[in-house]
Amino acid sequence: MNPEEMYGRLSGHLSLRSRIGAVAALVLGLGGAVFLGALWATEPSLRAHTHVAFGMLEITCLAWAGFGTWRIARRTPLYALDGVIAGGLALASNILLMSGVIVLAITRPGWVTVAAAAFAALMVATSAVLLARARARRAVLLRRRHELENGE
Amino acid sequence: MSNELMIIRCRLGEREAFAELVRTWHDPVWTYVRRMLSAAEADDVAQEVWLAVFRGLPRLKEPARFAPWLFTIARRAVSNRLRVEYARPEVPIAADPVVGDAVDVLLDRAEMIVNLSALPVIEREILVLFYLEDLSLEDCAQICAIPVGTVKSRLSRARRMLHDRLVRKGSVE
Repeated sequence: MNPEEMYGRLSGHLSLRSRIGAVAALVLGLGGAVFLGALWATEPSLRAHTHVAFGMLEITCLAWAGFGTWRIARRTPLYALDGVIAGGLALASNILLMSGVIVLAITRPGWVTVAAAAFAALMVATSAVLLARARARRAVLLRRRHELENGE
Repeated sequence: MSNELMIIRCRLGEREAFAELVRTWHDPVWTYVRRMLSAAEADDVAQEVWLAVFRGLPRLKEPARFAPWLFTIARRAVSNRLRVEYARPEVPIAADPVVGDAVDVLLDRAEMIVNLSALPVIEREILVLFYLEDLSLEDCAQICAIPVGTVKSRLSRARRMLHDRLVRKGSVE
């Protein structure tokens, strides 16, 4: 097998879309699970089939989050640019989640919504730190590339 | 493009750099894997090696030391297929007669390739890494996770085995 054939076999594994897709599955799955969980726990007097529907949605969100985690941990490496995109995506979606949960906490006060809001705030903080670290790591690599390209 | 620059560009996530990396290093990887395994397994194992390389690149600490890192991954993939052969106890090194430069002269590259498959994996591996991949003794030691002294002993024994085989075949006296 020559190098081009080998690269052809590998190129599917190197798709930026698939790597960012794994991050999106994790972030949106987890965010969806938290929001739906808070909504479910604070919804008064639900009928049995509505509980089932919420349960199914919750399982779906957690399955996506689990799938994304597995992909990132075992199958899909995140390179410097991916880290920055993933951090930005996580930060944006967690801010959205936090806003939604805060609205929920205001309209349906209780320990569940307060806990969900605290968890969402933690996710925002974590994703901000991850984004900052990813940007710093990429900056180091870009600087080194510049040095090597200019023979410094 | 230097190895280090290529690795840095890969770690940045530049797709052209991945293609360049494969173009530059596929032949050495394939040569190693092919000399250690059958043709039927070589392509799949080489692909496994590359997937492990791409997964490991974001964590590679020293881009300038890419070659030993790459062959360590390749060796792991090969040893997964050759567990039984790698588990074979080595002949005690002290018992080996040292075969020196005179035998090196006999180790014509093409002749060595033809006869490599007859050697046990441990000896075949060290000859492939040192002679066919042109890796230093230190790099071979890192890849095989053994001291440099053991690399020298294995090389000596491997050369002796190869020499004996060539003598038996009548290729050398």
